[in-house]
Amino acid sequence: MTLSSQDELLLNAYVDGELDPIEATRFEQRLRADAALNAQVETLRALRGALRSDLAEDVPSPELRRRIMAKSNPPPRADRNSWMALAASFLIGAVLAGATSFGALNYRSSDDLAEQLVSAHVRALMAPQPTDVASSSHHTVKPWFNGKLAFAPTVADLGAQGFPLVGGRVDVVRVEPVASLVYSHGKHLISLFEMPNTSGASAPVTSHKKQGYLALSWSEGGISYWAVSDTAPDELENFVKLFRAATANP
Amino acid sequence: MNVDEASDQARFTEVFVPYLVDAFRLARWLAGSRADAEDIVQEASMRAFKYIRGFSGGNPRAWVLTIVRNTSYSWLAKNRPKDVVLSDDLNQDDREQFEQAGTQEMQTPETALIAKLEAEQVRKAMASLPAPFREILVLREIHDLDYCTIAEVAALPIGTVMSRLARARRLLSATIANGIP
Repeated sequence: MTLSSQDELLLNAYVDGELDPIEATRFEQRLRADAALNAQVETLRALRGALRSDLAEDVPSPELRRRIMAKSNPPPRADRNSWMALAASFLIGAVLAGATSFGALNYRSSDDLAEQLVSAHVRALMAPQPTDVASSSHHTVKPWFNGKLAFAPTVADLGAQGFPLVGGRVDVVRVEPVASLVYSHGKHLISLFEMPNTSGASAPVTSHKKQGYLALSWSEGGISYWAVSDTAPDELENFVKLFRAATANP
Repeated sequence: MNVDEASDQARFTEVFVPYLVDAFRLARWLAGSRADAEDIVQEASMRAFKYIRGFSGGNPRAWVLTIVRNTSYSWLAKNRPKDVVLSDDLNQDDREQFEQAGTQEMQTPETALIAKLEAEQVRKAMASLPAPFREILVLREIHDLDYCTIAEVAALPIGTVMSRLARARRLLSATIANGIP
């Protein structure tokens, strides 16, 4: 059958859901009266079905995914333009793939965790707002986490000691939501991550350096704490000392 | 690694990686084979990484698809120079002829015949269409983009998107009705 080009465009736009409701209603009235036009609609829909028939198998290989994930986390000092070098970073790619549940590799080392938390801190700095709830009061920030986490994070007001609370947000680390408190100190921000400590044992403060950021971690009361910042190391140590003193059980 | 590089990587992970499947599908339909598509997506990912700071918000999926589309054409021009007809390269007269060519007559194959096609036959039929028609069908039917987004990705006026899409479907129908080569 022959369609005017206007009708042909109308037919296509109808099948694509691009007509406004009034035009669509009008077109449907025509369809009811016109079997040949109706057949054309069915043809276009059948073409769509045929094109989409092997969609489920039409996915990239895990190998390509690994190579590209490796790109988003290349090893230090590797030449980023060299895919040979990136091939050597297979392990790091696999680690990252694990983090996004494409791989089965388990990684639990605190080094990888430090890297993830530093990334979360950097990402927060790039976002328009480093926090999802902005408040300098722990009475506002602490209840905001209700229902978002499987544990109650510890929140301390350290404004009087030079580390005012800026707010809080939830990050996802190892596919688990973790609490992130944001404190400021001068021009620097400190992210304090809190997550349940699976072993339950207390651990003293350990320091990790990643990409120019310092991370201090410790565990107590069933929670692992990670403070991440680019502020001076002694300032961050001071922050950790003050936080632990303010939240210590009497 | 400095902070700039770290933030580039974070952005790349946020902007490019979620659309890897979309990227692969577009490249595969344009290039025809899985192996070539993987080459193209890898090259596109390098371009995306390089230009990630140029992504100023907006629709990340359209941004990724635009890069993959452009990479596909430059890859095809380099690796299979004889196969590609780019409508961008046609002059105005040729282009009009190209858009209007053929008859308005729609050769309508039986819906049942279309439904019975194997995925491999569909790919063959698509491979016989010129790239600009294939591309528009893929963006519409595989990626489910609306006309506006197709216009953005393929750098076409919306009127051209509409007429080219109609013509692409007519060509694909005719190919199927006439027996896939």
